[in-house]
Amino acid sequence: MVFNSLAFLLFLPTVLLVYFMLPHKFRWVLLLIASYFFYGFWKIEYLSLILFSTVVDFSVSQFLNKTTDQTKRKLALGVSLFTNLGLLFFFKYFNWFLDDVANPMGIIPDNALNYWHSNFQFLLPVGISFYTFQTLGYTIDVYYKKAIPEKNFFKFALFVSYFPQLVAGPIERFSNLQSQLFAKHKFTYKNLQHGGRFILYGLFIKMCVADNIANVVDAVFNDIGAHSSLALFATMLLFGLQIFSDFHGYSLIAIGTAQLFGVHLMTNFNAPYTATSIREFWSRWHISLSTWFRDYLFIPLGGSRVSSIRWIANILIIFIVSGFWHGANFTFLAWGAIHGVTYILEKYTWNKTASENHFIQFSRWLLTMAIVFAAWVFFRADSMEQAISFLSKMISSQTGESLSNFPPILIAFIGLLLLSDWVFKDSNIHLWMNQQKFATRWFIYAIMIYSILGFAGTVNHPFIYFQF
Amino acid sequence: MKIVLKIALLFGLLLAMAWHYQSSDVYKQYLWAEADQTFQVEKVKNCDVVYTSASSNFSQAAHDNDMRKISQMMEAQLNEKSVEAFNIPGSHAGTHKLLLKLIPENSRIKTAVVTVNMRSFGLDWRYSELETPQNKRNVMYAKRPALLNRFLVSLNAYDNKSPIEREQEKLDLWETTPLPFEAPRSNVKQWFEVEKWGDWRQPKRQLADQFIKQYAFVLDDENPRIKDFEAITTLCKERDWKLVFHILPENIERTVELVDKDLADLMQQNAAWFTNKFEAEGITVVNNISLLPDSCFTDRDFPTEHYNDLGRMAIAKEIAKAI
Repeated sequence: MVFNSLAFLLFLPTVLLVYFMLPHKFRWVLLLIASYFFYGFWKIEYLSLILFSTVVDFSVSQFLNKTTDQTKRKLALGVSLFTNLGLLFFFKYFNWFLDDVANPMGIIPDNALNYWHSNFQFLLPVGISFYTFQTLGYTIDVYYKKAIPEKNFFKFALFVSYFPQLVAGPIERFSNLQSQLFAKHKFTYKNLQHGGRFILYGLFIKMCVADNIANVVDAVFNDIGAHSSLALFATMLLFGLQIFSDFHGYSLIAIGTAQLFGVHLMTNFNAPYTATSIREFWSRWHISLSTWFRDYLFIPLGGSRVSSIRWIANILIIFIVSGFWHGANFTFLAWGAIHGVTYILEKYTWNKTASENHFIQFSRWLLTMAIVFAAWVFFRADSMEQAISFLSKMISSQTGESLSNFPPILIAFIGLLLLSDWVFKDSNIHLWMNQQKFATRWFIYAIMIYSILGFAGTVNHPFIYFQF
Repeated sequence: MKIVLKIALLFGLLLAMAWHYQSSDVYKQYLWAEADQTFQVEKVKNCDVVYTSASSNFSQAAHDNDMRKISQMMEAQLNEKSVEAFNIPGSHAGTHKLLLKLIPENSRIKTAVVTVNMRSFGLDWRYSELETPQNKRNVMYAKRPALLNRFLVSLNAYDNKSPIEREQEKLDLWETTPLPFEAPRSNVKQWFEVEKWGDWRQPKRQLADQFIKQYAFVLDDENPRIKDFEAITTLCKERDWKLVFHILPENIERTVELVDKDLADLMQQNAAWFTNKFEAEGITVVNNISLLPDSCFTDRDFPTEHYNDLGRMAIAKEIAKAI
């Protein structure tokens, strides 16, 4: 079930109503049932995978809690890693590995490859990268004794499947969710207002900004050669705004939905396009994934307290793995590598003492955005050839068609997105709205509601991060 | 109390938005692009006979002497009665039902002539990828506030399965839905695997397969298009309109030549079943399925209901007789 669907608009109020009508001890059971319904709504078969992952990590965590034998503990952790990453590899990377690695290297012959593709077709289960990382994080926390394992299997199943953040995050920590999921929450107007504002703003930027931009961007990427360099440049900028409003919109709806139930999820975006360095960008973009990689990969690799060479290697590993996490394609590896290399270069070339100077700050912002937006071309392209063709044509003064499918109102929507992102920097819509007068608040509500009802994109564009 | 006032304010805002959107140019532009037949209602409501059809209404042959539509030829036959048509290429009763509902109750209309395309009952059409844009357009044709329709479109609140999903469902049903014949013609999948005109690369074989895919089905009450025709029947009875269902001619000659007589018989049995079902409800059904010879069909590479001027005139005369 997707957030911007009629089904969800009926599902959410129903679950919310029943949740607060039920006695406290049954509420988490309702959330578990609702979460499995929410996920199974896509395909009932997906439930078997999430259940399998839940059973494995629950069993491993119980075992880790009981045994002190270090060898057995390591083995148990290995089972969890192997299972979760194995599932991820099989469903997400195996076909890519066969097509783009094993076959070109001659390991798999053409006829075997054809036999495989014609007889075994697997759809990538929605959200598998998110919930496997969430459960992995839990098991690693239990292994390092940072978390006390949940003893009730069904309560653990709710942690894994909690519907607001199940399919595209924010990737939550057990320590943050456990206490909130099972706490006694009261239905309050404050929570309704808080969650409602997040959901409304999330729907606005997803449906009005991202979905309207998607038509423009798709048309250009379908025929790069026919478009002018200026159109390609505009498309590069537009895709950067599309992916931001698409994913940020999803995260806001997820956070707002959880807030309605009294659960506070972590912030996932904080004005990333105001960043003046790649390092700052990653402290503002997809924060739950960045911190996951920091805690569960970067620090175990030694973090920053290692030699320069080792630090460089660690940074490259983090960014390349992060790129690969997004999808099975060399384009994602390139996207991660661009960020990783820039991150390293920044550390060794940028003079920290000059950062107060406004001109230097502006130059750094411009350079950071140039790299971030150029890297998005790799993220969006279907292949390395397409990405390179796009960028080379963009800088070659090519003449051709201008942008099509561009509704004039999109300019206003993009303006509102950029303005609001700047205003909400280091804050959020809820806190900002609290400071406004009644008339201002309702004027903003009216604009967002009218835009969603009458001017949202009309082509079916699923949330981009669902494919990850 | 404060919350009640806020709910009332929200409700008031929604009403104002709905009113503003309905009267805006943005809405009209959207309708022109996505659901232009809405504007046809103004013409239709002032005529005597409304005719609903798809591309079959038009001339599709460059060498036609008479380029008029079936509805125009029909009007010429009906002397004093005026005829206006709803035309949406690729549409079927599911859309025609919505268009008829859009006509105001105080219109001049006395008769509704609704096209029955036998192919539209078949799995190939029902699971075609063209159904997704059709379903999307249908949301805008539904008789609801314009702003709500627009919102439902952006929520994708219609059957918007992907072409791959539709194809898979169709293939499964072709394999599992029985036909009233012995193997290897006991289902569509087996039937079109039978070698008749060489292997699947031969154009004639491909065309024969298309005839099987389009017409090899048994019509029954569970067919979703039948439910649409039932809804049209109910609507016309409510409005006190005379209702005429006219079954479009299919190329029976070519069916016999390319496939066999059994398939042609099945097509005619389905048409007869439809005729009997709705005549029993007091509806006039013009069964034209076998009306035209092969020479009247303009498309040679796919079974369609596109006719030359002689064909269109013959159909118009048959409908006019029934009216």
